[in-house]
Amino acid sequence: MQYTKDTFYITLRNRLATLNPSRVISVDGTTRPAIVVAENEAVIPVRPLPDTFYLEWGQAQPVPQHLGDHPIFWFECVISYHTFGTTESGVDRGRSLASLDRDLLNVTQPGTAPKCDYTQTPPANLGTGIVWSTPQLGKIVGGEAPRNEALPRGTAGVRLERSASLRVFFFPETIS
Amino acid sequence: MTSFAVRPAMVPVSRRVRAYFAAVNRSSKTPVIFDPGRYGVFSLDSPPTPWLEIGWIDNFQRVSLTPTEPLRAGVRAAANAQFRGPLDARVEFDFREWGKLQMALAGGSEHMNVLASDPSAAPHPSGGTPLAAVAVLAGSSATEVVVGAGSVNAFSVGDIIAVDADYQQQTGYVGSGIAAAYVSDPVNVNRDTNYVRRVTFNLGRVAQLTAGSLLLAQPLPGGAPQAAWGIQKVVAFVDREGGSFFQEWSALFVAEEESGGRICFHYPRLQPVSTLRPASANAAERQQANTAAPQQKEQSIEIAKPITALALHAAFIAMPYTDENDRQIAVCYRSYFPAAMAALY
Repeated sequence: MQYTKDTFYITLRNRLATLNPSRVISVDGTTRPAIVVAENEAVIPVRPLPDTFYLEWGQAQPVPQHLGDHPIFWFECVISYHTFGTTESGVDRGRSLASLDRDLLNVTQPGTAPKCDYTQTPPANLGTGIVWSTPQLGKIVGGEAPRNEALPRGTAGVRLERSASLRVFFFPETIS
Repeated sequence: MTSFAVRPAMVPVSRRVRAYFAAVNRSSKTPVIFDPGRYGVFSLDSPPTPWLEIGWIDNFQRVSLTPTEPLRAGVRAAANAQFRGPLDARVEFDFREWGKLQMALAGGSEHMNVLASDPSAAPHPSGGTPLAAVAVLAGSSATEVVVGAGSVNAFSVGDIIAVDADYQQQTGYVGSGIAAAYVSDPVNVNRDTNYVRRVTFNLGRVAQLTAGSLLLAQPLPGGAPQAAWGIQKVVAFVDREGGSFFQEWSALFVAEEESGGRICFHYPRLQPVSTLRPASANAAERQQANTAAPQQKEQSIEIAKPITALALHAAFIAMPYTDENDRQIAVCYRSYFPAAMAALY
């Protein structure tokens, strides 16, 4: 199952590097595409970086009607991101969030990738592919705005954030 | 009176049906027989030779269409005796996994291996003029094909290969180990040296290369190749709507025991047929189905809209077999292995 998580992350990371090379973050002095698997990062109580995609995995579950010798499973993946915009006034934070939305939709298409073992160099193709659904974009949540100044949809906040969810389908590896 | 504790549960519980097929020897018309006494409750993961596990099947349905007719007599025309009408038994299911054997059984006719061809060859829907075959050398087995140091570099790990004899202009069934097609006239197959490898079931996937041989991930279904047979790469499989050949296989279906009791359904001879769902098995619909039964060739099984899995639908008619124990003609056998200490009635 870890191969599925690794494949999904690395596929999105590589696509993001190609589609929007300027969307990068610097972590511990290393510049890399702005996509992060939360469970793979050091446990340091730091706030999530803005303009960065954070991936969080749910539990693996079997797909009903697909329970045979090689059952199909799925993970839910929640991808969250937020932005303050690019200016101090934050007037373009809506545009920044739209840009993040666009990048997310682009890097998740096509919704398939060959599953690889990335613990090896070069990665070993494991023979099957992983497939994922189109991300469902959640509503915008605004933050860091005085409560009495907030609009119903929260877009008055300094920080705009969104979570998207999708399902990643895969054949689990078996030890034969 | 002494009483013994017997487990009262006599309900077979099963999560799925497993399918095994073995090729009928078409030349001698000899099926492969599953003898419950000889093979017993065999390990479902390692069926007895030559049975091949065919992977996951679903929607398994058996139906008997053999009528019983009463012989009426007397003033009130009451049934006085019965006789059985024409034997007719069908079985159908969906293959949830695709492969050469699954496609051939679901397609029903000649099943073609698309041999790797020269890019300049004229296009054909079942494969054009192929690249030349590499010769098999002596010392090969069903899992290792010796080709010599000079030829091994022509192959890569992951290649699918067809391993069989050159077509020798013969008529009759062709395909080593498993009859894959019937040639009535060499002209029909263009006297093609590669024709046997176009249809053979003797396929393997290269898992490893040695200095002079190819190690295969699964044994060749048709058995060890002989020296001077040819090897060609296969890039795809093709079946066709049409064709005159009928596949014929022996089949064994096992309801995997989960409560202890195992049920087996053995068909000595199965040939593909148009579908016939039990739901449409009344007389009028049956008549219609026998002439123009609709057959949905693939089933779409939703994973999560719009992602779906495709299953191959297969339907068969059971062909007759003479039971040597009493000279009765039968088309299928159902056997039951009771759970240990289960009540017998």
